[in-house]
Amino acid sequence: MPRKIGASALKHIVLIAVGAMFALPLAWMVLTSFKSASQTLTFPVVWWPHPFLWNNYPHVLSSLPFGRFFLNTFVYCAVTIVGVCISSSLVAYGFSRLRWRGRNGLFYVMLMTLLLPFVCTLIPLFILYKHVGWIGTYLPLEVPTFFGSSVFSTFLLRQFFMTIPQSLSDAARMDGANEFYIFSRIVLPLAKPAMATVILFQFIYCWNDFIGPLIYISNDSSYPLSLGLDLILGDYSTNWSWVMAAASAATVPIVILFFLTQRTFIQGIALTGTKG
Amino acid sequence: MRKLRTPRRASASAPASRVRRSRRQRRMRLGLLFVSPWILGFLAFYLYPFFATLYYSFTTFTGVGNPRGVGFANYSELFHDSLFRTALFNTFYYTAFEVPLSTVVAIGLALLLNMNVRGRAIYRTLFYIPSIVPVVASSLIFVWIFQPSFGVVNSLLSDVHIEGPEWFFSVAWSKPSFILLGLWGLGQPMVIYLAALQGVPREMYEVAALEGAGPLQRLRHVTLPMISPVILFNVIMSLVLSIQYFTQAQVIETPAGSPGSSTMFFVIYYYQQAFQDLHLGYASAMAFMLFILVLIITIVLLKTSSGWVYYENEQQ
Repeated sequence: MPRKIGASALKHIVLIAVGAMFALPLAWMVLTSFKSASQTLTFPVVWWPHPFLWNNYPHVLSSLPFGRFFLNTFVYCAVTIVGVCISSSLVAYGFSRLRWRGRNGLFYVMLMTLLLPFVCTLIPLFILYKHVGWIGTYLPLEVPTFFGSSVFSTFLLRQFFMTIPQSLSDAARMDGANEFYIFSRIVLPLAKPAMATVILFQFIYCWNDFIGPLIYISNDSSYPLSLGLDLILGDYSTNWSWVMAAASAATVPIVILFFLTQRTFIQGIALTGTKG
Repeated sequence: MRKLRTPRRASASAPASRVRRSRRQRRMRLGLLFVSPWILGFLAFYLYPFFATLYYSFTTFTGVGNPRGVGFANYSELFHDSLFRTALFNTFYYTAFEVPLSTVVAIGLALLLNMNVRGRAIYRTLFYIPSIVPVVASSLIFVWIFQPSFGVVNSLLSDVHIEGPEWFFSVAWSKPSFILLGLWGLGQPMVIYLAALQGVPREMYEVAALEGAGPLQRLRHVTLPMISPVILFNVIMSLVLSIQYFTQAQVIETPAGSPGSSTMFFVIYYYQQAFQDLHLGYASAMAFMLFILVLIITIVLLKTSSGWVYYENEQQ
């Protein structure tokens, strides 16, 4: 019995030590964000902010049009979520609930595109978008999502659709329902948890996306949060408490979202890891 | 709309096969209809630009006017470009450490979490959260905690009488710093491994224990083979991502510079060539080289995987 307690204590010691390493950077970000500039420039470091400067936040958030950046990010997220939900669910349905010749071959082609480095298609697409006047807008990042560009979402939905009993569809077909009816009225309502996961991941993807906007967005006022955050570094590279306040402002919403939706999250990731 | 299934009859084989064929065609049309958004997207956003990149790689092109054919000149220039070699080396260096380390650490953490400990959900959350922190934010956080003169890491190191290095600001330590940043955000594969571990049937461990296998032997002969397909999947995905390493290096270049070109990665160089210097032909040649590289690595991995990846279904 004492051996068991010892082993369990050892596990906790290891877990706490590792946990501390994972938590330190985030804790340090939040602590720094409340410090004064002079307090960030000491060695050895001072752990606790004194005085506690709450107004680092209003200061930094008003120094740049962060409201605008948040809004741009939300619109970008919302549009692509609509695109992904429509196109990925249709495509996933075709790749899972219907049997037809060439289905598996095409499905593998789709999976293979995951391995294609994005730089292999970037330049011709950029030139194409320039011709149609999309540079400077979010269209190059939004339009492809309506055409199944999110392979991850399609794959996840397909995995989920395959777990729904085929007999449900067969019964509806017997009653004369057409395929689109079965898709929209029978399968989709059952796939709500998977759709929630897709929406969540797409949201996080857009929120964090840096390289897409970096390439296509040139005007400061169209910047999303990720580029705005990078901007602050140029302005305030000396005052790390302000930089960390901005970083916290960009991080905290996503962490709160995570806590509210933890189950969806973890199950979703687990689903993508399953083969089939 | 749909007729009930026509029963198969040997006597009427000709019309029956025609019915079957037309049904098959109808099913194929329906299938294609559902996946048509992706097919259109594939043609427009993958296939066309991929071949256009290949075409541009044999030209000089600045984005205005017409591309001018130069044969293999871009490729031969690449082989003599020392900055390109540096970028290739840095990318390999990062990949060679990041992929194995993150695999081992992610599996290790998943094993820890899979043990019967109280508060498992709290630890899992703690280990996972860094992976959803916006990349720009996590890059800024890391520059700051690894700041040579005022950073918390060097402060902690000095508490135990170690003089911390210059991290992102030094030639020798900049890439290891990026690797640490990568390891901090490995929540995604960790959760996938954890799910895989929970899928290993309990009886297998019981049988192994009955046959006298110790914990290490169980890990070696039960756990790892059972999760090996998931390991392959994760290794391929993290390889492809590491080779395209960009955002963190781009963000951290602003405060830390790129000491002695030590953080010049493949895609950073590509980005400079394509979008700053407008050497579109040259950049296209780089892109195609990257494609060949990913292709070779993936094929090698898949070919050798039959030696260590175990698929349960095959055995039955």
